[in-house]
Parts: sequence; structure tokens; C-alpha cells
Amino acid sequence: MSVSSQSQPAKDPRQAAATPHKLPTFKLLRRLMGYITASRGRFWLAMVLVLVSVLLAALLPYLMGLAINIIGGQGAYSDLLGVLVAMVVASLVMWLAGWLRNRLMSALAEEGLNRLRKALFDHIQTLSLNFFDRQPIGELMSSVTNDMEVIGNFFSRGLSQGVTALMTIIVVLGFMLFLSIPLTITAVIFLPFMLGVAAIMGRIAGPGFAKLQEQLSETNGFMEETLGGAKTLIAYRQQAQAGDTMEDLSIIARDLGAKSSLIGLVTGPLVNVAQTAQLAFIALVGSILAIQGALGIGIVVAFLNYSEMLQGPVQQLSQIYNAVLQAAAGAQRVFAMLDETATVQDKPGARDLNNVDGLVSFKDVDFSYVQGRKVLRHNTFTAQPGQKIGLVGPTGAGKSTIMNILTRYYDIDAGGIELDGVDITEFSQVSLRRSIGQVLQEAFLFSDTVMNNLKYAREGATDEECIAAAKQANAHDFIMQLSDGYNTVLTERGANLSQGQRQMITIARAMVANPKLLVLDEATSNVDTRTEKLIQAGLRKLMEGKTSFVVAHRLSTIQDSDQILVINKGEIIEHGTHDELMATQGFYYDLYMSQFKGKLAQFATA
Amino acid sequence: MYKNFRKILVIYKGARGALLVSQVLLFLSVATNQVIMALNARLINDGVQANDIGVVINTAVWMIGLTLLLTVFSIGNALYAVMFAEGTANFLRVTTFRKVQTFSFGNLDRFRTGDLLVRLTADVNNVKSAVLFGVMNLLQAPFTIFVVLVITWFLAPSQLWLMVTIMAVVSVILFSLLRNIQKLFKLRQDALDRVNNTLQENLSGVRVVKAFVREPYERQRFATASDELKQAALAPAYRIAIFLPTAMSLIYIAIAVIYLTMGREVMINQTLSLGEVVVFSQLLAAALVPITMLAYILPYLEAGEASLGRIIEVLADTPEIQEKPDAQRIDPAKVQGRIVFDNVSFGYRDKDGKPIGQALQNINLTIEPGETVGFLGATGAGKSSLVNLIPRFYDVTAGRITIDGVDVRDIPQHQLHKLVAVALQESVLFTGTVRGNVLMGNVKADDDAMLAAAQAADADSFVSNIPESYDATVARRGANFSGGQRQRLSIARALAAEPKILILDDSTSALDMATEAHVQGAVQTLIGQTTKLYVAQRISTVLTADKIVLLDGGKQVAAGRHNELVKQSQLYRDICISQLGMAPELQDAGGKS
Repeated sequence: MSVSSQSQPAKDPRQAAATPHKLPTFKLLRRLMGYITASRGRFWLAMVLVLVSVLLAALLPYLMGLAINIIGGQGAYSDLLGVLVAMVVASLVMWLAGWLRNRLMSALAEEGLNRLRKALFDHIQTLSLNFFDRQPIGELMSSVTNDMEVIGNFFSRGLSQGVTALMTIIVVLGFMLFLSIPLTITAVIFLPFMLGVAAIMGRIAGPGFAKLQEQLSETNGFMEETLGGAKTLIAYRQQAQAGDTMEDLSIIARDLGAKSSLIGLVTGPLVNVAQTAQLAFIALVGSILAIQGALGIGIVVAFLNYSEMLQGPVQQLSQIYNAVLQAAAGAQRVFAMLDETATVQDKPGARDLNNVDGLVSFKDVDFSYVQGRKVLRHNTFTAQPGQKIGLVGPTGAGKSTIMNILTRYYDIDAGGIELDGVDITEFSQVSLRRSIGQVLQEAFLFSDTVMNNLKYAREGATDEECIAAAKQANAHDFIMQLSDGYNTVLTERGANLSQGQRQMITIARAMVANPKLLVLDEATSNVDTRTEKLIQAGLRKLMEGKTSFVVAHRLSTIQDSDQILVINKGEIIEHGTHDELMATQGFYYDLYMSQFKGKLAQFATA
Repeated sequence: MYKNFRKILVIYKGARGALLVSQVLLFLSVATNQVIMALNARLINDGVQANDIGVVINTAVWMIGLTLLLTVFSIGNALYAVMFAEGTANFLRVTTFRKVQTFSFGNLDRFRTGDLLVRLTADVNNVKSAVLFGVMNLLQAPFTIFVVLVITWFLAPSQLWLMVTIMAVVSVILFSLLRNIQKLFKLRQDALDRVNNTLQENLSGVRVVKAFVREPYERQRFATASDELKQAALAPAYRIAIFLPTAMSLIYIAIAVIYLTMGREVMINQTLSLGEVVVFSQLLAAALVPITMLAYILPYLEAGEASLGRIIEVLADTPEIQEKPDAQRIDPAKVQGRIVFDNVSFGYRDKDGKPIGQALQNINLTIEPGETVGFLGATGAGKSSLVNLIPRFYDVTAGRITIDGVDVRDIPQHQLHKLVAVALQESVLFTGTVRGNVLMGNVKADDDAMLAAAQAADADSFVSNIPESYDATVARRGANFSGGQRQRLSIARALAAEPKILILDDSTSALDMATEAHVQGAVQTLIGQTTKLYVAQRISTVLTADKIVLLDGGKQVAAGRHNELVKQSQLYRDICISQLGMAPELQDAGGKS
């Protein structure tokens, strides 16, 4: 097996629509800050506490300077006691202010994040299915979690660090200027150099990191592929070779990783040189000034401390700036999602659908998922109340699409769909979907108890109703055999049940909903024949007296339909009962023959 | 403490030199830093207070010179630390990956792909960060404290007890604030996982949510999880909130204590100089900073330790299938492909090697060379389990399987896998070219052999339509080919291996019936002498086989040709009715079942 860096990413035309316009960073941040400043009073209290703790932090080196001056001979020991008491008091107040500030900032950050998280989730619930078609769920999931994490980091660290750093720089510079202007100039002379080093290193590290990321994603891709295909590697004796390739890739990753993290780590010592050189410079100039009697030695020591106090914030500024940019990038995507509007909207004054008879008619319906690519053309048919309609056709012919537009997951391009003679867009989506029961191809269950999964179908359903439905769907017996009966918690996506059992629960769930219309996307090919018989019996009970649409993957399940619609390339090319369609010897007849009799004939001659 | 890290140090001896050098450099940089501070005493005492500008300038020059030295030490420390950390990560990545390559199917079933991938990426990264921060910072605190005490002892031995007491008290207070904080972080992580799971489930089930109009319920569910996360996140945040202010205030209070006691020595007893007081207060602050730093690296160390545990779990696993020491190659030219199942039972095993249930019970079956045998049954009936025992992907729990009379456990695995080619249920292609994928099992095969295999598998029809033909690029996991194309290429791969026994494990499911029939016919023509086993969900796949083996719940319930089974087996008739809509013998009676 050879490894090549070339790959041809599948081009997906749907993704083009997902690129939103960009908002300027400033606006993004202001909007992001809105989630924090929602509790206005506490936000400003936090700002006051930041100021108080920064002022005290700047006062303390001055007090230390005074103490040193006294120790150096400019006062009595009793004076020293006074200064030291002031130091302890200032420390304690600073401690209290700092603690409250941190608590408050943490609370504001977590609350803001919680607010944003819930707003995003709530909004996603309102979006139409085409939003979910645009990107795989895994991708959506990782983008949401990553974006929330960077925003969370910004809220809980970047923000308070940034505010504190800025205030510290201003306050400390103020103290320094107040104490001695010449020493202040000495103290800040190296700052541009330090900022420069950090910036240059960032420049150098940038492309290195990008290269590393590329290499890492290459290595990860290789691992994902070989681990996913591990069984094939065993079958074709390729394990050792995969190991060799891995070692090559890993060594490249090691060297690139070392290079890029080294650049980051060297920045610290380099900035430190400047810092220490600066301290020596301050000590030199300060000492000369002290010898000349212009200021006490204590003030020089205070300046040494101030200079150190400035290092942190100055070095942090570039980090904070990066955090802000990252948060803005995350916010960009999150807000784009929040600003997405549902494509399927209720009409103003849409009414609730009650007392459905179940007369469904499609009138010359055209539909496309992506503009310009018609999936359905001129679909016209009528289903009488209580009829069973079978949908037949090759994969991709548009069978499932008919279900999707009947339930109004998507709006049609032209024509009309009527329910009991009224266009379905006249009804609210909520009431429309409540009237249509659905059993989907993938038997999706929540990781919750069996009972709660059944109750999911209808708010306010009682235990008795759910158990009755389970009995109807032939699910009751095996549910009772589970460890906790109806209270058994299903593992992730219902993995502790067999596929057939999951299907029976979804049928029972649809029964709990007790709708007037039904759409079934059946997939029973992978269960044993006994289970299949139970499922079919359950489905028959479910369909009793309801207008039902059944997407058939095998012709045997829809032979008894009142009407069979044969769909090919988006058009209804034949319709009638099984016997009628067989008699016409058209597409359906061919499909039927090729599926069964042809094979049997071949067997007979083999 | 950190038993996983200690374990890995025993396994990984690759860069002990780098580790040692980095620690020596760390010590030197700590010491240099402290000496620079101590020079302040000279500056104040002999320079400022003695009004000697010469000493002042001289001291400043020394300070700057030492700073340059310090830079060299720090950069050196970073360099070796990074080399050691990246070396460790590389070692773990490669060793673990190679370990996985020794795994059998059973081991792979237990560690799922995603899980292994996380261990090889995120967990290795966690270990790397822990090693890096650990190597750079862990010893900084003890080194600093040591140097500070040495300097104290040189400058003023009488103050030693005071420095020790202050540092001890501050350390105890700070560490008591951090106690159990790991537990709080863990709870926070759990709450975050719950939020992500809720989101994931909601997104995966979006159709069900919309079908039953349960958006309000979902909102409520998410809000609960989200609120819990907020609370869980605040607990460790509040602990951190008090930690830093405490550390800072303690440093100032400690300095005040030093001024109080040492100031008394200067002003009243005159046993100390002003410069020394200043230096001591600076040294004290310098010693407390690395202690505070420990609070920051502790979470990294904990996370690294936990990740390392997960990696060691993989390294400690033993492959289920072990080569017998006396395994003997058999002469491939003489292999005919007669397979006998002799009272075979099989159960999948758990982590401790105990069988979980019975996937197959008492299978007795003889397959003659060149025969075509179909295996039919529902999901979970044991079809795949049965055929996977032949190339020894799993070992039988009882009984034995022989190929031409030789127990498969006596044949070297490498040769066995060459004799038996399997197109697995999941058709996996790998990055590279079409040619590389088809010839994976037989690198030396020429173009004619490759072409013949591809034609028989009906893969040539689409491959020859690609401009680059067999040199066309295959993207990651074969993403640029459709499911049906991948299946046909993986059949071609099995055929190109020129096996004595060919197993197609449900590998025609994505093909339509006409293509499937065509492929089966072509395979018969190409390798009629080879024993062929077809596993199928669809009855049409096995209809024409020499023998159909019907499995149900791990037991063989019937075996024979189609027309025999129709007469003998009710279950077989049921399947015919279910899949074909009619029992074959009823087909003339009108069709309805």
C-alpha cells in the first residue's frame, strides 16, 4: 500500500451556500460581549474590582520602597511598623478584591457562555432540514464544540486578562510617572524591543504552525484510514508496512513539532534578556540618581518591581490579541448559524390542522433540493382517506423525497400539495407534523428509558397508552424481558437492542402518536424471518384506517397496496394496483421480473 | 503517584540523555537568575550606599553578562525539553501504532477505530504537553528553593530559618487550596461530555425530533444539561479564583515579615545591610513564583497521566491469535482447498478472554475443492463468524477447522492469509492508486492478472473510463469511489491475490442483481478450481451455489442445493417467501403470498 499526499476532496455543490458574509472583528466582539454584559450591574462591579485590585497592586511596591527607605536610614523603626501595617492591610484588601473580581468574572463568563450555548441550540431547533443537509453532523458537531471552546476561553480567561493587563499598564505607568519621570523613561525604553521580539517570533512561528497542522492532518488521515481498515490490512498482510509508513510520518511530525514549539519557547528567554537588561539599566540609572540624592534607594527598588509588573501584561498582550482573533473567528461561525433563517416558514395566520380525514393530493408538484437540479417533476396523484399507497422505484428516483415534502421538511418549487382539499402551507408546521406519523428507515432511539422513548411521540402520553401501543406493535414481550422492562435505559442510539427490536419500538412510538396519516420508510431486510413477520403484523395494525405511504425496498411488502406509484427519475411513470401494473407489462413488471423470476429462470437453466 | 509516567520511563530509554541535559540546564538557569538578583546587594551596599559609581556600573555590566548566559541556558533547556517531549510522543505514537498492527480481529473489536484514534492523537498530545511542562517546570520550584537557601546561607546564615519557615507556610497554604481540584475538573469534563452528547443525539435524531414536534422538550433537555455544565464549570473556576490572589498577597505579606524582622536587624542590631534585605525579599518572591507555577502545570500532569494510562492499556493488550511456535508452511502448490469444520463452536471474547455467548454451535461441514458454497441467514445468525474462522481471524472455542487436512492453527498466519483471500463486509480502499489497491495481496502480479481480476469483478468497466485508468488516485478511505465501486474493487483485490480459497463476505450487497450474477459467472470462469464461499443477505446471491448452508442463531439448520432446501426446510421457504414474495414452487399459482 502506498501513501500519497494527493487526495481529491469530493466537491459538494451544497457547501457553496454555507459561506456567509464576514462581519468586522469589532462588531463580532461587541455582539459577543452582549452575552456577558447582559448582567450590567455585576459587569461594572467586576470592572470596579479590577481597578481596585490593580491600584493596590501598584501601591504595594511603593510601600515597599518606603519601607526600604526607612530601613536605609530615612526614619525610625516605629515608622517602619506603620508602613508594614499598611502593606499587610493593602495585601488583604487586594486579596479580597482580587478574589471577588475573579469569582465575579468567572460567573459572568460561564453565564454568558451558557446563554450563548442555549441560544444556539434553541435556534438550531428552528432550522429546516436543508440546513442539516449542508454539512455532515460530525462536522457540525465539531465546529460547534470547537467554536464554543474558543469563545469559552475568551470569556473565562482572555477577557479578564485583557482588562487587567490594560488597567495594570495604565495604573503602573501613572505611579511611575508620579514617582520619577527620568526613571520611567529608563523603564519603558526596552518595551518596544520586547514587543518586537514577541511579534517577530509570532511571524516565524505562524507558517511553521500551519505546516505542522497540515502534516498532523495528513498523519491523522493516515491513522484513521489504517485503523478503520485494520481488518483488511490483516487479511492482505500489510500490517508491517503500515507500521513503517506510520514511523516515517511520525518522525516528520516530531521534527516539525519540535521546530514550531521551540520557536514559541525561545520567545520567553529572549524577552527575558531584554527584561533583565532593562532591570540592570534601571538599577544603574537609579543608583546614579540615588547617589546624587535625587531619590531614595527605596524608590529605585519600587521601580524595579514596577518594571517587572509591566512585563506580564506586555507579554500577554500578543497572546490576548490572538485569543481575541480566535474568539472572533469562532463567533463569526456561531453568529452565522444564529442568523440563519429557517427556509420553511409558517405563513402569517397559518391555522392549526384538526380532525384530518386523510385525503392527500399532489398537483403537478416540482421539487429540487439544490436549485436547478429537479428531483421531482409534475407529480400528480390522489390518495383517498384510509388508502395504502406503495412507492416503488430505483434508488434515487425520488421516493423518500415525496415523504419529505408531504411533511413539509422542504417547500416545493411549483404545484401544490393538499390535505383534505386545503394546501398544506395553510397549516402550521407543528400541527401538520403532529397529524403525520413517521417510521423512518433508520430506527433512531434516544439514550433514555424505553418508556421515555415511547412517550417521545406525544407530550402527555400516559404509561398505559404506551404499553398498549407496545402490545399492538408486538414489542411488549421483548421489552418485558429487558433487565428493567420499560425502565431499561437504552445505550447510545439503542445499541443494546437488535435492529428488529429497535424497529418495533419505533413502530410502537408511531402508534403512541396515533396520527391520521402515516409515512413508512421500511427497511426490514436485515432481520430474521420471525421478527420480520412480527414487524409486518405491527405495521399492518399501525396502518389500519389511516392513509399510509410506504416506501418499498422490496416489492413483496407493497403488493397489497390500494395504489402503487412507480417513480423513475422524479416522475410518476405508472400507477395502479399490483395486478393492474403486472397486466400492463411496463416498468413495474420488468422490475418485478428482474428481481425474482429472472433469477429463478436462470437457476432453472443453470 | 504518576505510576504510568514511571512505567513509560522504563519502556522508553531513547532520550534519557536529553532529559538529563535539560535538567542540568534548568538548574543552571535557575542559579544564574538568583545570582543576578543577589548582585543587587552589592549594588546597594557597595555602590549606592558607598556612593561608588564605579561599583554600580561594574555590577550592572555583570548583571547583563550573566543575563546573556541565562538566555543560553534557558534556550538550551527549552531545546532539550522539546526534543525529549517530541521524542516521547513519537515513541508512543509509533510503538502504539505498531502494537495495533499486531492485533487480531478480536482485539480490534474491543478497541473501536475512533477510540484507538483518540489514544494515538489526543492522548499522545496530552502526554507530550505533560512531559514538556513537566521537564521545563517541575523541578524549577525545588531548584529555586535550593539555590535561594544556598545564597541565604552565604549572605546571612542567621536568616535561614526565617526563609525556610516562610516558604514552608506559603507552600502549605497554596497546596491546600489546590487539593482535590482535579476532581472538580473531572466533574466539569463529565458535564461537558453530557452537553456534547445531548447535542450530538439531537442532531443525529433531528428527523425524529421534527417528526414528533418535540423541539420544546429538546430545548428543555439541553437547557438542563447546559445549566449543569455552568455549575460544574464554576466549581473549579472559583477555586482558581481564590488561588492567585492568595498567592500574590502571601508574597507581599511575606515581604512585610522580612522587612519587619530583618529591618530590625539592620536598624537596631545592625547585623544586616540594607542591600541584603532587598535581596532577600526579591529571592523570596522569586522562590514563590515557581511554586505558584506548579498549580498551572498540575492539571497538565494529571491529564497526561490519565492519557498515558489509556495508551498503556493498548500496549498491554495481547493479540488474541498467537502463532504456534511449531507452525509449518505447507506446500502451496499442493493445496486443493478442501475445508472441513469438525464440530466447531465459537464465541466472541471479552477483554479477559472469556467467551461472551455462543456465536456458533457444533458446526460440522465439509467443503470440497472448487465448490461454490453460499451462507444464508439473518443478521446475527453467524455467517460472517463462520467464514472468519477459516483464515483464523478468530480462533475456534472448540472443535477444529482443517484445510486439506491441516489444522489452520498449524499454518503460519502469513501463509494462511495468502491462501485464503477475503473481501470483507466493509469494503475498504486505501490512499494510493487503483493498481496499488487491487494488487495489495499480490504485489508481484503482472498487468494481465490485474486486468483479469478487475474484469471478473466488473471493476474494469468503470476504471477504464477514468483517464488515468489503473493509475488513478484513490482518496482517503476510497472516498472518490461509490459504495458499489468500492465493493467491486475489493472483490478484484481478493481475486488478484490468486487464492486457493475465496471468501466474499456480503460483498455484492451494493450491486444490482444483474451485475451480481455477471460477477459470479466471471469468477467461476476465472478461478473454477478455487473453493468459493459467498456470504449473503439476499437469497439471489446464493441461489445457484453448489451448496447453500442455512444458519439460524449460530446453528446450521440446513444445507443443500436450492431445490433440496425448498423441500426440506421451512425456514428456507419462509425466506423465499419473504424475499421473493412467493415460494418458488408456488410461483405459477398466481403470486400472492
